Amino acid sequence: MKVLEVKNLTKKFDGFIAVDNISLSINEGEIFGLLGPNGAGKSTTINLIAGLLRSSEGEIKILGKNNMKHSRYTKMNIGIVPQDLAIYEDLTAFENVKFFAGLYGLRGTELTDRVQEALEFVGLLDMQRAYPKNFSGGMKRRLNIACAIAHRPKLIIMDEPTVGIDPHSRNYILQSIHKLNEMGCTIIYTSHYMEEVEEICTRISIMDHGKVIAEGTKEQLIAIITNTKDIWIEVKSVEQIDIEKIKEINGVKTVSLDKNVIKINSEIGINNLNNILLYLMNQKVEIGSLEEREPNLETVFLTLTGRNLRD
Amino acid sequence: MNILNITWKEIKVSFRDYHTFILMLAFPIILMLILGSALSNNFDKKIKVDNVHVIYKNSASQAVFSYFQSFIKEAKVAGIDFTEVADGINGRDEVKENHFTAFIEVTDKGLTLIGSSQNSIEESILQGMLTAFADKYNLAAAVVSVDPTKVSTVLASSTKHDYITEHSLRSAKAPSSMDYYAIAITTMIAFYAALYGMGLLREERVKHTSIRLLAAPIRKSEIFLGKIIGCVLVNLICVAAIVIFSHYVYKAEWGSHIGLVFLILISEIFLAVSFGLGISYMVKSHEAARTITTLVIQLVSFFGGAYFKIDHPTGIFKFITDLSPLTWVNQAITKIIYNNDLAAVVQPVALNMGVSLLFLMIAIISFQRREGL
Ligand SMILES: Nc1ncnc2c1ncn2[C@@H]1O[C@H](COP(=O)(O)OP(=O)(O)OP(=O)(O)O)[C@@H](O)[C@H]1O
Ligand SMILES: [Mg+2]
Repeated sequence: MKVLEVKNLTKKFDGFIAVDNISLSINEGEIFGLLGPNGAGKSTTINLIAGLLRSSEGEIKILGKNNMKHSRYTKMNIGIVPQDLAIYEDLTAFENVKFFAGLYGLRGTELTDRVQEALEFVGLLDMQRAYPKNFSGGMKRRLNIACAIAHRPKLIIMDEPTVGIDPHSRNYILQSIHKLNEMGCTIIYTSHYMEEVEEICTRISIMDHGKVIAEGTKEQLIAIITNTKDIWIEVKSVEQIDIEKIKEINGVKTVSLDKNVIKINSEIGINNLNNILLYLMNQKVEIGSLEEREPNLETVFLTLTGRNLRD
Repeated sequence: MNILNITWKEIKVSFRDYHTFILMLAFPIILMLILGSALSNNFDKKIKVDNVHVIYKNSASQAVFSYFQSFIKEAKVAGIDFTEVADGINGRDEVKENHFTAFIEVTDKGLTLIGSSQNSIEESILQGMLTAFADKYNLAAAVVSVDPTKVSTVLASSTKHDYITEHSLRSAKAPSSMDYYAIAITTMIAFYAALYGMGLLREERVKHTSIRLLAAPIRKSEIFLGKIIGCVLVNLICVAAIVIFSHYVYKAEWGSHIGLVFLILISEIFLAVSFGLGISYMVKSHEAARTITTLVIQLVSFFGGAYFKIDHPTGIFKFITDLSPLTWVNQAITKIIYNNDLAAVVQPVALNMGVSLLFLMIAIISFQRREGL
């Protein structure tokens, strides 16, 4: 089932085009990554999907229903984690989640149970009576997530949920996303940290200047720009090495020697590292270090736009 | 239900910001103390009754008029001076032009007191005396202001009084300096709610919680109403605290119709909140909106007599003071407290609500059009 379908979506702010004719389609159970540099239009796209902004052109369907015509239904099924912390410092963690969950029609003990479930999920149940003004950055981020999930939405949209937090909280959040996904939630995740997107997303769209410039799984995206990787092996001595012999190994494209570093360019998808190492061992070559340089999304972005993902 | 939810959240969030709350309470309480005691010599508590000049017109039967003559006689002892209106002279005009304190029409139906409606103390003394007199002789007495569209009350006090002694004493019920400032500062603080109204929706934008509110399956109008009601209630609680404090600690007089006084105060808070909200939607930049709101609050306070009492203004000055909502509100509250003039509640409440709706309309229209809050 399609959880989200975006067709030819455009958003202009006083003539400035923030989102430029994008189309997306997300299936149930995906963790969909929206990757792009500052100002690419990620948040604007998310706000359009959540029904906070009106599109200039195009259509958005959530669970098969138009998000403007059936806004009550679509909003009920979306949970949004805003890019900036959106919590009340003067309400306790419990009260924050309760207030927002209450807006989704939850009442009484059901409300209380769901609130505690959400707080437990982000690891803040012990802190439910505390005020977020005394929280660390990571705890605030986790509360920000709890506020979006207590009403059990089918689609959770997270706009850079890990900005500026410690590695512990970051891991916790990334694990929670996996857990939510296992529980059946479809997730849209935006970030300009490509490591995170690479780690958790099943499918990725790369946005730049309001446009989707590439889309697919991580492997598909990398395949757009190249189908080779580099293997650099530092050795103690080079006398015994016959470059031509290495070239004969399956998948190897080019081999060169740079002082005592063997630089091999090889096809992605062919696992030939053990053959290369076997050859070197047979030649009694002592290996100093080995580095496998696979292109990542950063490389993809750099190749597609000529710019780095992060300035 | 959503509205209630949002209202309750608004109240909780506001009161937990106790620094602001304490300031909101301390400021008026200290101001009352300073103004109420420092400026007390501007208020004579003893009214000299001997410069009360009254004209009357008699068209009653001899029997009724003879009662009135005995009233004149006794009132003269108390220093009130009576003149029968000459032919061709309009008693109402005489009062309007301040030649006389009041004009009394004596008919078989009863007595009608026409005052200048500046609710001077002389007038209220006279009123009291006349009511007591009418009681004694079972006459109907009515008090009418010069402007017939304004106040018109039938005083219905059933107990019999010895009118002369009673009402010479009644002068003690004139507002003291502290009584005056208790009202003036309270209504001024109520108008400060405009600042709160101005920041009401901006606050959600700044905290980014507007995103969550808008992403929830509720109507924008529910957010709007919930917040306004919450804001009015928060300010009402503050104002009530100030009224209670001034009554019990400063012994300020709030009269025996506190419900009506609060009705006026609520309408004033509503006006202030709507005004602030309207400005925040009319003026794009927050700084400009803040400057305008603060300036209006200062002008309204000044011309509404919050800092010093404005007695009998004339000409352009009167026009300006009449524009201040505090003038309507303070006059009406004074009338309710000191004259038992219950109908005085109608005019300021109607005016406040009318103007509020105007500002609210502006806010609602731009709110519905705008994306976001
Ligand atoms: N309300 C608005 N009015 C005018 N321009 C806007 C508005 N919101 C966003 N923009 C512009 O649209 C562009 C896209 O912004 P958006 O916030 O969607 O980017 P983003 O990809 O989320 O960036 P970031 O990584 O910094 O969050 C930016 O140039 C921004 O200045
Ligand atoms: Mg963004």
